[in-house]
Amino acid sequence: MNALATSLRMAVTAMLRQRLRSMLTSVGISIGVAAVVLVAALGTGARGEIDKQIQSLGSNVIFVFSQPATKSGAKSRANMGMGLTERDAEAIRREATAVTAVTVYSEVSAQVMSELGNGKIGVMGVDESYFEVRGYEVASGRRFNESEAQTKAKVALIAPTAQQKLFGNQDPVGRWVRVGKHPFRVIGTLRSKGQSPFEDQDDRILIPIGTWRSRVVPTLGDRVQLVMASAKSAEHSGEAERQVKQILMQRHQIAEGEEPDFRVGTQQEFQKMQEGIFTVLTVLLLSVAAISLLVGGVGVMNIMLVGVTERTREIGIRMAIGAKPADIQAQFLLESIALTLFGGLAGIALATGLMLAFAKDLGFPMQLSGQAVAVALGTSAAIGLTFGFWPARRAAHLDPIEALRHE
Amino acid sequence: MSALIRLRGVCKDYMSGPEVVHALVDVELEIGAGELVAVVGASGSGKSTLMNILGCLDRPTRGRYELAGIDVTERSTDQRALVRNRLIGFVFQGFNLLPRTTALENVELPLVYRGVSTRERFRRAAHALAQVGLADRAHHTPAQLSGGQQQRVAIARALVTNPPLLLADEPTGNLDTRTSHEVLGLLQELSEQHGITVMIVTHETDIAACTRRIITVRDGRIFRDEPNAARPAAAVESRP
Ligand SMILES: Nc1ncnc2c1ncn2[C@@H]1O[C@H](COP(=O)(O)OP(=O)(O)OP(=O)(O)O)[C@@H](O)[C@H]1O
Ligand SMILES: [Mg+2]
Repeated sequence: MNALATSLRMAVTAMLRQRLRSMLTSVGISIGVAAVVLVAALGTGARGEIDKQIQSLGSNVIFVFSQPATKSGAKSRANMGMGLTERDAEAIRREATAVTAVTVYSEVSAQVMSELGNGKIGVMGVDESYFEVRGYEVASGRRFNESEAQTKAKVALIAPTAQQKLFGNQDPVGRWVRVGKHPFRVIGTLRSKGQSPFEDQDDRILIPIGTWRSRVVPTLGDRVQLVMASAKSAEHSGEAERQVKQILMQRHQIAEGEEPDFRVGTQQEFQKMQEGIFTVLTVLLLSVAAISLLVGGVGVMNIMLVGVTERTREIGIRMAIGAKPADIQAQFLLESIALTLFGGLAGIALATGLMLAFAKDLGFPMQLSGQAVAVALGTSAAIGLTFGFWPARRAAHLDPIEALRHE
Repeated sequence: MSALIRLRGVCKDYMSGPEVVHALVDVELEIGAGELVAVVGASGSGKSTLMNILGCLDRPTRGRYELAGIDVTERSTDQRALVRNRLIGFVFQGFNLLPRTTALENVELPLVYRGVSTRERFRRAAHALAQVGLADRAHHTPAQLSGGQQQRVAIARALVTNPPLLLADEPTGNLDTRTSHEVLGLLQELSEQHGITVMIVTHETDIAACTRRIITVRDGRIFRDEPNAARPAAAVESRP
């Protein structure tokens, strides 16, 4: 134990003596370890978070987007190329048996003002079913009722991020917000839904779709951006998807095998897509890690070989006064491990910095876990051991007389 | 008197290209405990080769070497390292201290390989430094010490393990006359007062004259081996 402590001190001293060299040598290790840490952080924190976000979209939701038709002549047919309309949604509601609720929405990002603040906020036109399908819950106040929807009343519900922007910590219920030239009365606030894979779901206000069409974007007619349907259960989502497709094909007069002007997606598909992105990211990071660690390791080996040559005389002296080959080998191995551990610590710092800097852009939190640190330090030590082995062995097998004679 | 060193028919051959160099030829030698011996001879006569074998740094090609009753010829590398650590102290012409390392740490080094505790190491190293009159230079690095002081640190390092044998290959080769005699005085004292066997390789006749036995090597053989009436080295100023 005592001998180990002494050897460790010698190793650290040797490393500090060549500060610049040590730093340059360990850059590759640092980058590699940073990548390892990021992979570990992705594995632990982010995957679960993504699942949660997908769940936050609602349960068993089927999404229908409109998609511009590419084939010429398609536009000539009825309803074709017009995109999705509210009547499409009604047809699905009526005919699709595997579907419990259907909702539509349109959204624009608009400048919204209150007496206390203003900001660019998503203004969503929604129908009453939207709250169920997407699982929005009212925190205070109330939703709009059927008569308000029909009369295109200028009422709004406000989600937390938008609330913070417009009202700070004040209670917004009963106050007014202005979109363009139209004032809306705030009748309720919504509970936080957090981040979805696409956006901040809390940075918006919700108004009746009729109001949205006539006051906010009057040029769209009864077209909507998105139709969402809830399947009865997870088992029914396949059937629901088929029914929705069939109904829309018929209404848009699209023959079997023709390219439709809409696209249907399920929550499971989003999940798969997200996981695909993860796999790509993980593979990418692991390649960076592998290459950096290999290059870094070779750098460490090189610098250790230089060190052995430079310190040949020292090795001779140590052997003459009683160091065994194993002592010399341990000394150089410890030095290379100290070097790579130093690189590893720098890599952990680098990864932490990157996580803090990009967590927001990536849309999910990544945290430095104890496990990630353990993996990083383990990797560093293993690299030090692997690439320090040969130089250390070389040092240990020097002939003491030749080593002492070395200039 | 039982011999500390016993060489029997020791030969050392070197391959130099296609030719064989006979660096040592049939060396027979016995040296007792506490002797102070000078090894002299022309350059290339085999003095260093002899010292390397005596110091367990090299193995004879043929013959047998017993140190303190142990046959060390056929020992493993690790065991020879142990023998060096326990029984032998080295002093070199070029001092051979670790650079950028304090005098005290240099002196401690042999004890590190013996697994001695930090505190005990410090105590013994400080004592050895005091013995060579350098207690006040403990925290100086070699670069901050004169040649004579560096050689005295090297002697302290050789002493710190209390070895029965001290081998010095041209210990004064890099020193001026005055410092040479300081160092020599120290070596004489070690032999006389502490009973350490000291062997000094030297080119200088006045250094050899200060020892009690002079061995002359010529062409790898012991050409002459005779006792000498040692005269004391010139007065040394800073005795401990
Ligand atoms: N490693 C070696 N390979 C080949 N020949 C060697 C080797 N070491 C020593 N020799 C030869 O062995 C002989 C004895 O060398 P040694 O170094 O013992 O001489 P020396 O008496 O110490 O000389 P000097 O007084 O110059 O130090 C010389 O001829 C030398 O060339
Ligand atoms: Mg020599």
